[in-house]
Amino acid sequence: MVQLVGSLLKELADSLSSCKVLVVGAGGIGCELLKNLVLTGFKNIDVIDLDTIDVSNLNRQFLFQKKHVGKSKAQVAKESALQFCPSANITAYHDSIMNPDYNVEFFRQFMLVMNALDNRAARNHVNRMCLAADIPLVESGTAGYLGQVTVIKKGMTECYECQPKPAQKTFPGCTIRNTPSEPIHCIVWAKYLFNQLFGEEDADQEVSPDTADPEAAWNPEETAARATASEKDGDIRRVSTKEWARSTGYDPIKLFNKLFKDDIMYLLTMDKLWKKRKAPTPLDWQQLENSGHPQGESPTTSGLKDQQVLDVWGYCQLFQHSVESLRSQLQEKGEGAELVWDKDDPPAMDFVTAAANLRMNIFSMNMKSRFDVKSMAGNIIPAIATTNAVIAGLIVLEGLKILSGELESCRTIFLNKCPNLRKKLLVPCILDKPSLNCYVCASKPEVTVKVNVQKTTVLSLQDKILKERFGMVAPDVQIEDGKGTILISSEEGETEANNNKFLSDFGIRNGSRLQADDFLQDYTLLVNVLHTEELERDVEFEVVGEAPDKAPPPQSNQEEVNSITNGNKDSAQPSTSSKAAAEDDDIMIVDSDEEGGAPSSSAAVTTSTKRKHPDPETSETSTKRPRTDQSAAAAATDDDDDDIIALD
Amino acid sequence: MIEKEDPVISEEEAAQYDRQIRLWGLDAQKRLRGSRVLLAGVGGLGAELAKNLILAGIKGLTLLDHEQVSEESCRAQFLVPVSAQGQNRAQASLERAQNLNPMVEVHANPDRVEDKPDDFFLQFDVVCLTGCSRDLMVRVDQLCSQHNIKVFCGDVYGYYGYMFCNLGQEHHYVE
Repeated sequence: MVQLVGSLLKELADSLSSCKVLVVGAGGIGCELLKNLVLTGFKNIDVIDLDTIDVSNLNRQFLFQKKHVGKSKAQVAKESALQFCPSANITAYHDSIMNPDYNVEFFRQFMLVMNALDNRAARNHVNRMCLAADIPLVESGTAGYLGQVTVIKKGMTECYECQPKPAQKTFPGCTIRNTPSEPIHCIVWAKYLFNQLFGEEDADQEVSPDTADPEAAWNPEETAARATASEKDGDIRRVSTKEWARSTGYDPIKLFNKLFKDDIMYLLTMDKLWKKRKAPTPLDWQQLENSGHPQGESPTTSGLKDQQVLDVWGYCQLFQHSVESLRSQLQEKGEGAELVWDKDDPPAMDFVTAAANLRMNIFSMNMKSRFDVKSMAGNIIPAIATTNAVIAGLIVLEGLKILSGELESCRTIFLNKCPNLRKKLLVPCILDKPSLNCYVCASKPEVTVKVNVQKTTVLSLQDKILKERFGMVAPDVQIEDGKGTILISSEEGETEANNNKFLSDFGIRNGSRLQADDFLQDYTLLVNVLHTEELERDVEFEVVGEAPDKAPPPQSNQEEVNSITNGNKDSAQPSTSSKAAAEDDDIMIVDSDEEGGAPSSSAAVTTSTKRKHPDPETSETSTKRPRTDQSAAAAATDDDDDDIIALD
Repeated sequence: MIEKEDPVISEEEAAQYDRQIRLWGLDAQKRLRGSRVLLAGVGGLGAELAKNLILAGIKGLTLLDHEQVSEESCRAQFLVPVSAQGQNRAQASLERAQNLNPMVEVHANPDRVEDKPDDFFLQFDVVCLTGCSRDLMVRVDQLCSQHNIKVFCGDVYGYYGYMFCNLGQEHHYVE
């Protein structure tokens, strides 16, 4: 006689009340998930989130109320959940899951880990920790109406990194600095400008005209000459943008005239650029101020205030006011202060809106409302409660299968926007086996990377390649030179002296092998180095065996298109923390960090391969498509034509 | 179709509903803001419905339930406080439901849905019936379709559940 407790078998019910589970993230999915777990009968739940509550969370993160804005999400989620289940044993951590305190031993406490994250870096990390600890992981994500859940179990299924995911979209420096053709280029430029003026200056975020632009030269020799000329300015001491701004006292009008008049006039002298492009038209503050402009308030439209598009003078004024506010913020913080861009900080958002629009106007693009600029600059992903609710429900169902020892019945499930031809909104797919050459979960992971060993620094290797690209948090690197020479140590300060040296300085050349370890993740990666002098402009390295980034279509709303960074910084941080970035409700099919633009986020760029036939018995399919965030959902809808194999 | 009533969205609403306005548009949000919904049954399914509707920013939600809070109620849904045993389920759920979004007018009604006269239903734009009898659903469905009121019915049974909706001969929607 089968014993039931509610709808659950008694063994399962018992195991729920005794086992310990970890929820990573207490946002959109996290709140729904915590509620579901508690009501299902889970008694011991740890929840971790580094973020604090923002008013824009309240449309869906229902464990939070207005009075909680500013407080720790994990903490408040725990308190709210205890309200309807006082007997639950919930431990909340206001912390980053990437903190080394949460080591393999920490993870081993749990029978099940469930991600409710919004960024790829954290997902990669938890993936590795769960592989190291051999704990099943339920991974999930949402964006708008779309959602996805899957299960990762070492040795049995693909891990999160088995299928390469498209890298965050970046734009070449000369496009940003010289020849923007789309609003997003201007928005990226404006964010760089913010950092150059008020924040941490970054050599990869230059805003001034790029004299070494190969397109500007009439012949290749000229490019080389320009490049060297811009590096050696003879007796003229190069002044950083920030220094220069400081010397003017952050005078908005002087700043305006330099950025939007003088620099543009300089660009105009690079005439080859404008042979086939519409040339930019510089702006002059005085002229704009003098010319008549229509009276202040436009008639109240039914749109949001932020959705209005001002005229040029309106953005001039916005520029002026925001510079003045930011200047005050800097002064308040004192000597050597740096601001971090935050889309929810009004003057910071105003500044980017104004600067981007002024630049758009200069380059003959239609200007955009603050609402739209915020979407793009802040990588905003539209989000609603119900998608998260559905996904959280599915997470628990998969979790119950796992705890019942029924891993073979686990599935990847896609939540689509429209029913497929079988009238299904939810589409389950069989889990794929681990990829034999996965650079994370294969038995001896290995990759081959093309770099210019004479131009790549040790610091770049650490930050751009091992951390950003290969998801390590604290890499240790030794050269396989028979001596085990240590190149990078994760211990602070130990190998700092090596940072600015080039790889070639250590005898690294074509064919060299490096062993990179991340002890926290219990992860060793062998890196084969290929030396090359032919990398694309602005590209520092290439991983062999991967398709190069394709430029997405302009209308696409993907994060890749709208991501501003040349790295992962934006999407790695939550929206309300002091570091910029955006909250993103990541689907595995789409990496999102707050992003969007027009309503509806169903555009998809797919690098799709042929889908396997569905199983006629169960109408489930095994997909072999690389998991680009939106591709799977799109494929689920678009490629569903393949599903109609008139078997029914 | 719900008309937009007040064209102006307040700053508070714009801030709170930002992420959903970016999905379904401002126009849709205004229509939500003008709609009144009836929810019969505040068990597990009803509580989820209430949460989702209130978070979306409708104008008003009436929770209609004659049942009393039992020990099981507290395990089934998250709106009822553990101390509310013996109270009416709709009234016990009211406070937490209201706290989900103070901008929505949430009411609790302890009557039996079967006892409600026809004109009770007619004050709503949408009627949701959870855990109701077939006879009741048929009656309400027929009544509401005559007045272009949308009807959604549903129930859950362990791992199984259903949802049925009657949106009329012709309806408009945003996606």
